[in-house]
Amino acid sequence: MLTLAFDTATSVATSALVEDGRTLGERVGLAGRLLEDVNDLLVGADARPTELRRIVAGTGPGSFTSLRIGLMAARALGFALDLKVAGVSTLDALASGAPGALPVIDARRREVFTLVDGEPVAIGPDELSNSLLQGRICVGDGAVRYREVLEAGGAEVPPDDSELHLPRAALHARLARDFGPAELVEPIYVRAPDADRVLGR
Amino acid sequence: MILGLETSCDETAAALVTEGGEILANVVSSQADLHARYGGVVPEVASRRHLELVTPVVREALGDAQASLDDVERIAVTRGPGLIGALLVGLSAAKSLAWARQLPLVPVDHLHGHVASLYLQPDPVEPPFLCLLASGGHTLLLDVADHGGYRIVGTTLDDAAGEAFDKGARLLGLGYPGGAEIDRLAREGDPEAFAFPVARVPGLDFSFSGLKTALLYKVRELPADELERRRSDLAASYQRAIVRALAERTAAAAEQLGAEQVAVVGGVAANSELRASLPGAALAPLPLCTDNAAMIASAARYVEEIPFARYLALDAYASTAA
Ligand SMILES: [Zn+2]
Repeated sequence: MLTLAFDTATSVATSALVEDGRTLGERVGLAGRLLEDVNDLLVGADARPTELRRIVAGTGPGSFTSLRIGLMAARALGFALDLKVAGVSTLDALASGAPGALPVIDARRREVFTLVDGEPVAIGPDELSNSLLQGRICVGDGAVRYREVLEAGGAEVPPDDSELHLPRAALHARLARDFGPAELVEPIYVRAPDADRVLGR
Repeated sequence: MILGLETSCDETAAALVTEGGEILANVVSSQADLHARYGGVVPEVASRRHLELVTPVVREALGDAQASLDDVERIAVTRGPGLIGALLVGLSAAKSLAWARQLPLVPVDHLHGHVASLYLQPDPVEPPFLCLLASGGHTLLLDVADHGGYRIVGTTLDDAAGEAFDKGARLLGLGYPGGAEIDRLAREGDPEAFAFPVARVPGLDFSFSGLKTALLYKVRELPADELERRRSDLAASYQRAIVRALAERTAAAAEQLGAEQVAVVGGVAANSELRASLPGAALAPLPLCTDNAAMIASAARYVEEIPFARYLALDAYASTAA
């Protein structure tokens, strides 16, 4: 069963083609070029779009604009090819790359997206408690950006070029559980649009 | 047939159009209600809604045309100008649909789309003509020599005409979008009651910001009870000023360019006074005045398509290159 997985929530777009648990190919690129990577993956595996059976999409949180590029692709591909789609949180995928790791995604505005008590939140890196950080491996582009703050809190951050910082789409494919209609796969925004903040919503 | 997609602002739209310009389906899901409480389009709110609505409007368009994706030969999509985050949702959808079905993609300029709303059946307008494009996002005079494009000969230096209507409506305590509200209220008022200045800017350009300021001062100056009583007069006079600016500049441009035919497109083309003040002008049918995807599919007929798989890295653009 051929599964296409991708995640465009962070500063890189990852994609993977997986067949029955075996990764046939992986790509790391940009959200705006996601379909190019996907096409390369299929060409590399000598497969056609119509041979795809399932799609797994990273649901964020991350950059709103690039996250939507991936989720729109998932919905459109699901529609055009009549495929079932599953969503996997980008934080969960990152965390699954290293045992016990704390996923930390750059949320801009001096904040990061991470998991606190299992819930995605946007929080200043210096507001993360030492009890959360102590002895943890922090992974993700937010961990790289705020390395000093996190290390001062007792966390360990792998080298900048470590693959552990990438939400590799093969991880999403492994975690995916509930496949269903593409339109049920919702983005995790965490933050409300700025206009709602102005209105006090 | 061509499947068109449009997500450049606050309308999520899909349409099916034949190569001959016949509209088989034209579905527009307006987000106006969603943005009303903000008094204008909020880009992030619009983009979130587009993501939810694109596949439903495509499904609805196919249903209306009693067609399936198997019948679609090309996919057309707005590439710009517009809200970049909103455009990228539509572009991602279009690329994905085209790639999945191994179809060519046609990237369409939104302004060309508005002009091409005139090329649809049953009464297509033939170029050459001078085109006034007036909407919430644009106020442009376009020299249209052929089906394939346009040349900008005049533009607004500040607000778009539709924006001027929206801002004026807000000052008068009317709803959003403001154009229709002012148009309605203006019918009960005297358009000569107040003299609002029509800015004189050089060349064939427009300026509406002074007009809005003049209305603001007038609203502040009038006692509350008189303001309430004369709101329709204010609406009528304000509308008259906008329409006069549009009509005068359009006439001047037509004379300067020697254009024998004038056409009006865009959301403001729905305004009844504008329609009346440009007699003889070709007008886009009302459902095609506001943003829609039929016009995008229509324009695609005159744009070179990108063959399968060569469009996968295509990007959107927020503004027209100068
Ligand atoms: Zn428009």
